[in-house]
Amino acid sequence: MIASVLAGIIFILMFVLIILDKFERHLVTLVCGAATLVLVFGVAMHSGRAVMETLNLKSIFTLGFWYETSAAEEEAAGVNWATILFLAGMMVMVEGMARAGFFRWLCMTIAKAVHYKVMSIFLTFMVMSFVLAMFIDSITVILFLAAVTVELAQLLKFDPVPMILSEIFCANLGGSATMSGDPPNIIIGTSLKYTFTDFITNTGLMAVLSLVVIVIYFYFCFRKELAHADGIDSAEAARLSPKDAIKSRRDFIVSTVIFLAAVVMLITHAQTGLSVAFIGAFIALVTLIAAGRDAVEILKRVDYKTLLFFIGLFLVVGGLEETGLLEMFASVIGRISGGNMVVMVAIIIWGSAICSAFVDNIPFAATMIPVIRTLAAATGADLSILAWTLAMGTDIGGSATPIGASANVVGTSIAAREGHPISWKRYLKSAVPATVIVVLISMVCIYLRYL
Amino acid sequence: MDKQLMISLGREFGSGGHVIAEKLADNYGIALYDKNILRELAAEKDVGEKNLRRYDERPKNPLLSRTVRGFTNSPEENIARMQFDFIRERADAGESFVIVGRCAESVLRGRSHLITIFVMGDMDQKILRTMETENLSEEEAKKRVEQVSRQRKAYHNHYCKEKWGDARNYDLTINSSRLGIEGTTCVLMDYIDARRAADNWE
Repeated sequence: MIASVLAGIIFILMFVLIILDKFERHLVTLVCGAATLVLVFGVAMHSGRAVMETLNLKSIFTLGFWYETSAAEEEAAGVNWATILFLAGMMVMVEGMARAGFFRWLCMTIAKAVHYKVMSIFLTFMVMSFVLAMFIDSITVILFLAAVTVELAQLLKFDPVPMILSEIFCANLGGSATMSGDPPNIIIGTSLKYTFTDFITNTGLMAVLSLVVIVIYFYFCFRKELAHADGIDSAEAARLSPKDAIKSRRDFIVSTVIFLAAVVMLITHAQTGLSVAFIGAFIALVTLIAAGRDAVEILKRVDYKTLLFFIGLFLVVGGLEETGLLEMFASVIGRISGGNMVVMVAIIIWGSAICSAFVDNIPFAATMIPVIRTLAAATGADLSILAWTLAMGTDIGGSATPIGASANVVGTSIAAREGHPISWKRYLKSAVPATVIVVLISMVCIYLRYL
Repeated sequence: MDKQLMISLGREFGSGGHVIAEKLADNYGIALYDKNILRELAAEKDVGEKNLRRYDERPKNPLLSRTVRGFTNSPEENIARMQFDFIRERADAGESFVIVGRCAESVLRGRSHLITIFVMGDMDQKILRTMETENLSEEEAKKRVEQVSRQRKAYHNHYCKEKWGDARNYDLTINSSRLGIEGTTCVLMDYIDARRAADNWE
């Protein structure tokens, strides 16, 4: 009992501190994670086993961590090292790509291909944002896309805010399509042992369908604001060469090949048996070897704070899991829904969407995974349906507010730094209806396809 | 006048700090930076100034803000950081100026040609002055003085380790209600001249 109360208090404290944004969030989760190990497992439970299981270090040294031979692998609990290793690997790869100028080149190539016509840029950048975010973290996608959008806005004399807002939304939507797109999906996939193909054939289809509707929605939302943009004369267009974005031709080719290899490995990992942890480690290693002397520089730029944030977070959630608090929460959802799958899906998708709109969706998803696992075991519900519901709810809900997902924060920040501050009101005006539309589409898809 | 001179002047609302800053800038023939920084930034980025001004010297709302890898969604914080960068750039360029508010004493801390001042005032004097300048009733003026001062304090203390208006944070803290605007300006000029004449003004 004391252990449960302590775990609950630490968890709530962690959430409050993350929301208050007074301290860096990795420090918050690490301190709370350490408190879970010492106070919950040590002082209250006197359980060395709980500490070891939550730290989950031994999992790294098993074959199944690197090579998944069958679906009978034990579901992971505690620190999800596969997620951390995969994220670290992708961060290294993305750093390599950014250094080579890949993202800027891609943006400028597409802008040139549509002859710098604002409405065409608007539509193609939304699709590009979606597609890139399927494989690369949405922060990086928006970091480059928003910067190029502002640059083009200055050149073509249009307000970049509508374009940035729609790019952010599409990046979050693209992230929901695959296992590697959004951190909640990586955690869901690695924890519940789903593959890239599982995601693309389930959340992916919902995301693509939603994209079609959302592109039309944003077009009607912003067409008047973008209609007054200037054109560009042929001399100016000729001056802008996408090739200028490439800093080193060799690095560009190498990073593009590595990226394509990562995509192929992810798409085929259900067939090859290679785990996402292996793919992450392999991609990182190849990027570092190819970078040669620049490897140290790439490693320095990796976002270690996010990786530490994940480790602390998994420890705190491990505390809730070990003390049975999440089982209690699952039984509450089970009771409210009366075991009815239609109600359960509605609660999970809307509950996660609303929560993710206001709190970081990563800790939310990490907390909810044991909940849906318990719920499925207790009610006999299909775990995969609950997993897709949770993924869509958390991934899409985060799009609703400026603080719901990391890409939103980065995109609005880049806009503000370039003289286009975006208020909550302006953000919500277009993002809330879009979020509601996509959550509704996802819910209907789940009902029609699975129930 | 060939050596750089940077005067940072913090002020309580209604204390006349801004007028004093104008007089100092005028006397030394140097630029005055206040909300006009936003005009320069808007021109530089080819955007409207009005949209930036809404967030000038305002504290961010911690519940509505989040930071990711050094990026924040808070317009207030982004505008503040843009202004801090602007102040640093001007200082690095060797320019002389008077800067009003904007955490300048903290942003420029450690620079050798910097004089930091904080102007305060008695509440009744601040209310009187606000009634005159903003054409408000006594009650409205009191409310405004309290509200803006609270806002400036929250803004300053969010970005700076040192507290707003704390005498330890400034070279000189002065109450403008004692000598009036003119008298206070004269005292400040004497102090600035004395500092510049001192051997260590290098």
